[in-house]
Amino acid sequence: MGTPRNLAARLLRAVLRLAPEESRDWALATLRELDFIEGDWAALFWALGSAAAILRHAASGWRALLNRKSNKEAGMNNTGKKALGVGLGMLSALSLVGCALAGLRIISILFPGLEHSPWAYWLAVLAIPEAIFVAATVMLWRKRGPMAAGILAMALVVAMHVAVHLTLHW
Amino acid sequence: MKLRLSPQTLLVLDAFLVQAEAWKYGYDLSRATGLKSGTLYPILMRLAERELLETQWEAGEPGKPPRHMYRFTPDGLRFARSSVSAAASGGLGQVALGLISPDPVEF
Repeated sequence: MGTPRNLAARLLRAVLRLAPEESRDWALATLRELDFIEGDWAALFWALGSAAAILRHAASGWRALLNRKSNKEAGMNNTGKKALGVGLGMLSALSLVGCALAGLRIISILFPGLEHSPWAYWLAVLAIPEAIFVAATVMLWRKRGPMAAGILAMALVVAMHVAVHLTLHW
Repeated sequence: MKLRLSPQTLLVLDAFLVQAEAWKYGYDLSRATGLKSGTLYPILMRLAERELLETQWEAGEPGKPPRHMYRFTPDGLRFARSSVSAAASGGLGQVALGLISPDPVEF
């Protein structure tokens, strides 16, 4: 067996090892035909053409696989985006509660008389933030559903916190 | 999915139509059509994927490795006959360019 034919056989065996399942029969078919080709150089050219054909066939399979993966990833990204929206909504709501508490502290410094007024406290910490939460949820529900859900969840958490607080202390 | 009928595909279809019922080998088809393996095998793969061609491993003698063989399916035979006759009736260029379909059925 001459060197070009040897090289041809090695090339097609390597292609056969590398080929995915759907291209393996074709790779093996071209390798088997090698035994019937007259001339060492003809065998090498046969192997080169066959290798290119098998790799193109395998590449189309890999492309299809990558497309399927991309579609799955797109689905995952969509879920990630939704989770991010909910998180952002909750964070916004939490920031608002923090602002309300900070505002209450500033008011108590500026107007010391209001510090002991329960209605000012409930207005600043509960009524106004809850009203803002509900308004924001209604406004964002259609266009930014996940964010609205996050705000609504935080509104419920704040309301439950207040309810627990009232139950324990009153 | 529509099969692109290049002049090379028509050559392969034509080669298969000679003793259409007989199984054929890749290297024999390459010699009959004058096509290199890099051109012939993608055509065979496309024909097989569209179920116009059936493939089989030859049950060889003991110690002799089997060869891959190809033959038209009934659909493939109909498709090849209509394609080749459309090409022969002067529409080779148009068929090859996909301007006319050799058969109303899409394969």
